[in-house]
Amino acid sequence: MTEELLRINGLSTRFFTEQGQVNAVDNFDLRIDRGDVFGIVGESGSGKSVTARSIVDLIESPGEITDGEIWYNEPDLADAVREDRPEAVDGTFVDLRRISPERRRSLRGTSFSMIFQDPESSFNPSLTVGEQIAEAVEVQRRASANPRSTRARTRSEEYSLGSFVLSSFLPSKRYVTEASRERAIELLELVGIPDPVERADEHPHEYSGGMLQRAMIAQALAGEPDVLVADEPTTALDVTIQAQVLDLLDELQSETGMTILLITHNLGVIARMCDRVGVMYAGEIVERGTLEDVFDDHVHPYTEGLLGSIPDIEGEAGRLQPIDGNVPSLLDHEMGDRCHFADRCPNAMEDCLEHPPEYDAEGSNDHAVRCVLAAQEYDERRAIPDGYFDETRPAGDKHVDPEDADEGPTVDEPQRPLEEPGGESP
Amino acid sequence: MSFGKFLLKRSLQGLVVIWGVVTVLFGLRAITPGDPVNLIVDPAVDQATRDRIREELGLDQPIYVQYVDYLQDLLVGDLGYSYQSSRPVTTMVLERVPATLELAVAATVIALVIAIPLGVISGTRRNEPADYGATSFSLVGISTPNFWLGIMLILLLAVQIDIFPTGRRPVAFHDALWTFLTTFYVGDLLTWLHHIILPAVTLGTYFTALITRLTRSGMLDEYGKPYVTATEAKGIPGVLIRYKHVLRNTMIPIITVLGLQFGTLLGGAVVTETVFSWPGLGLRLIDGINNLDWPLIQGIIIFIGISYVVINIAVDAIYAKLNPRVIDE
Amino acid sequence: MISDRIKSNLSREFRESLLAKVGLVLLVAILIMGLFAPVLATHNPHTTGYFDDDGNAYPPMGVSYDSHQWVDGERVTYTAEPSADHYLGTNNIGQDVFSRLLFGARTSLMVGVFGTGLAVLIGVPFGLVSGYYGGRVDDAMMRVADIMLAFPSLVLALALIGVMGSLTIPIPDPFVFAGVADGMPASTPLPGTVTLVVGLVTWVWFARVARGEAMSIRNEEYVKAARSLGANDREILLKHVLPNSLTPVIVLATIQVAAIILLESSLSYLGFSGTTLSWGYEIQQGQDYLRTAWWVSTVPGIGIVLSVISINLLGDWLRDSLDPNIEGEGGGAG
Ligand code: SF4
Repeated sequence: MTEELLRINGLSTRFFTEQGQVNAVDNFDLRIDRGDVFGIVGESGSGKSVTARSIVDLIESPGEITDGEIWYNEPDLADAVREDRPEAVDGTFVDLRRISPERRRSLRGTSFSMIFQDPESSFNPSLTVGEQIAEAVEVQRRASANPRSTRARTRSEEYSLGSFVLSSFLPSKRYVTEASRERAIELLELVGIPDPVERADEHPHEYSGGMLQRAMIAQALAGEPDVLVADEPTTALDVTIQAQVLDLLDELQSETGMTILLITHNLGVIARMCDRVGVMYAGEIVERGTLEDVFDDHVHPYTEGLLGSIPDIEGEAGRLQPIDGNVPSLLDHEMGDRCHFADRCPNAMEDCLEHPPEYDAEGSNDHAVRCVLAAQEYDERRAIPDGYFDETRPAGDKHVDPEDADEGPTVDEPQRPLEEPGGESP
Repeated sequence: MSFGKFLLKRSLQGLVVIWGVVTVLFGLRAITPGDPVNLIVDPAVDQATRDRIREELGLDQPIYVQYVDYLQDLLVGDLGYSYQSSRPVTTMVLERVPATLELAVAATVIALVIAIPLGVISGTRRNEPADYGATSFSLVGISTPNFWLGIMLILLLAVQIDIFPTGRRPVAFHDALWTFLTTFYVGDLLTWLHHIILPAVTLGTYFTALITRLTRSGMLDEYGKPYVTATEAKGIPGVLIRYKHVLRNTMIPIITVLGLQFGTLLGGAVVTETVFSWPGLGLRLIDGINNLDWPLIQGIIIFIGISYVVINIAVDAIYAKLNPRVIDE
Repeated sequence: MISDRIKSNLSREFRESLLAKVGLVLLVAILIMGLFAPVLATHNPHTTGYFDDDGNAYPPMGVSYDSHQWVDGERVTYTAEPSADHYLGTNNIGQDVFSRLLFGARTSLMVGVFGTGLAVLIGVPFGLVSGYYGGRVDDAMMRVADIMLAFPSLVLALALIGVMGSLTIPIPDPFVFAGVADGMPASTPLPGTVTLVVGLVTWVWFARVARGEAMSIRNEEYVKAARSLGANDREILLKHVLPNSLTPVIVLATIQVAAIILLESSLSYLGFSGTTLSWGYEIQQGQDYLRTAWWVSTVPGIGIVLSVISINLLGDWLRDSLDPNIEGEGGGAG
């Protein structure tokens, strides 16, 4: 009955910073079925946000996806790609890492869309909310006018600088059409914004945080995406508003049946929303399975620690700091070839000095764990002595701020190359 | 606050500033040493005549009466009479406005037309040759005194290769335009253009450099903001992200900088007019200062102050339209 | 305050920025030129009459210059050859251009530094008080600042010079006094009015920056704590608010030195500086001789551009490493 929608193999995303190479996402595997709500949970600095951005193709310099396959199940796209790049197609699946950047970009909004953590900074402050949502609608409108199988689809960049300049005099040249504006108002209504007609003409600063997050959800829905990636969608909001926004997402999901990839540090949110969960640590998934697998039958000591630290499911839960010790360093030269959690793990043994593979675990078929405890019992005689890692770890103050690594390291200055470095000049 | 109220508030503040400018100038004139009568007539003239002149100018009155008279005259647009030429200062100012305006507008146009594309290229192709070129140009541009630039342009393009005139303004733009509109004769317009190019480039270079710089760093800043990523995630064309979102937001603060720099533009015009004997307000101001012709100095500076205030209110209004947050702050 | 973090930022930016290094080298060279002008100069900058046998000014080294004149209806070509005695040639009245370049650097730097100092002394206290007290005090003081801004600095400077006249203050020259620079002018004239005036027309930028800092610090916890412990406003301003506003003030001051050098050169170009030992004045002198002695205007202009570039480069370096949020007038009025 269920149909696989995304299959990610060995995804690695690295940031090349002054302090060294940061392995924000390391050899990451994931499967998501159509219609699922899949949650990724982890501390800040675990690489979960970078994972989300890698899937939506929003990694910016100095970050780069260095390895891996992202197979996306979309028959039309597979047909379109098959001619030029047969190697990127497998049945109805297409490897997004091997298609052209233009085609990849054309999936934004219509196949994948994203909700960001902080609605206030995720809207352009100087355009009205309605206009910004209408842009997203327009992307969808133009895309469906050019079905994916035709070549025109990848030429959706046909809106040129010339058109933009002309649009200041000729309304007919504007990118956003009247129909899209009307649809934007409908969407605002759909996400429960009162007086949508008036509010569409307001600027983001005139909205409250919760309203703006609703508007962002409307914007993300505008493209009628297959996958909605929600990156900490409620973290920036008040507790009462959080619940409302989650309700809204829930409702929209059951209405449209879309697939949601929910990134959060809040296990309460996971418990409420998700069918399946992946627990992320140091750039990889350390335990995954159904909600029951992870909440009731977990094996990994890190999962254990996370669960032990929830004060109350719906609580504010702030930043979760369940386990003693440092957030993992993602610097390549500090990671070493061992279980990345070993320095904080209460059960670390000699066997953990080798990077553990993924073991099947009890529970559902999907339950898998990257921990030796899935294969053997804890044996105190083989335990690693206290303080062992203090010596092997290089000078402790050189850690990249994990916050940076999570958000995509912002190095000192904005170093954002453009999509088309050879782009036109006005 | 509504937009209208915002504008009203800014206008009232503007009036206060204009009053301040007017008062400062009155004060400066009052503390200037020396007897103005000596500037009008030969010092050897007999006392009776001197007293008569003093009375005519109102200089025999107590200072506050002079001040009130002065404000009253200003309200009806009367700036008094030049000591030097006895002509009404209002006329002397207004007849010089078109020349300075032409120069300022031409310089601004040159600056915007060159600087924005340059800034965009530089800001979007960071650390590529085009960026290095644009940044070096802007560094040199903001570091070059415009009178020297003007002289160097004269040296190269008027003296060495004789393709531009060394100065003067043989025909006013509005006359040339009128000639063209009535007789379809373009000669005058071309003459005007030929004469204004060097002065306009001279005056405009600093602003070109400045705007290039601001556009570049503004775009780099802007691209680092989260909304750009969020906008990219929507899948809209790159052109729209670059121009409708990023460049637009970059230009909004630059507009206010330009408003504040309007004074620099006029200051630059004074020097540029001197270099090219361009018969504008600046040249007249220098004349006035050389002759200590206070009514004239005062009139010109009041005019400049008022234009500054008006331009900045206009700029604030545009800014508020583009970025409505400021109204609420 | 200058913390270790700031220091490490400064040195890291410096190491990485070629431009900052270029700026520093240039500035040091210009400082040396200015400071040691009497020692380095080859001629007294006031001595006139260094002409060749035909009565032409000497061109700079490596240049010979043909000029044409009509003598008795015939076109005669004079070729002016450089003289090894005058590295950069001589000007229209036969003064040594190189020596005048050195002394001009002195004038520019003096006016730049003293003028900026004056602007800091007026502007920073003004801004701190305005921002610290806020409310009506701030409103009133900011209107004063607005009024200042409505005068273009060059125009206001001209008006003030109109009031005060162009005074210069002779500063005795220590090198001549010590006997190591014989034949040089015994004193260097500091254009006093100009220095005063550039300070008076640029302080408002410092006021704005200091005000912004004071406003942001006013409500910090430690300032509130100091207040509740009975510190009075003056102590808080001096001990807490002032030190915190230093970083942006330093950055702005650097850029303002460049702006003031440009302003000074414009004023002296227009003939209001009161000294002839100034780059701007020299350029104005040379303007009438572009056809026969182009170097007279060209050389001092290069001096101005290089000094301003060097200071701007250092300003960029400071700005990049300290990252204060400031707006400034830039080097405009020139
Ligand atoms: S592999 Fe070893 S160190 Fe790692 S989590 Fe499991 S028990 Fe702990």
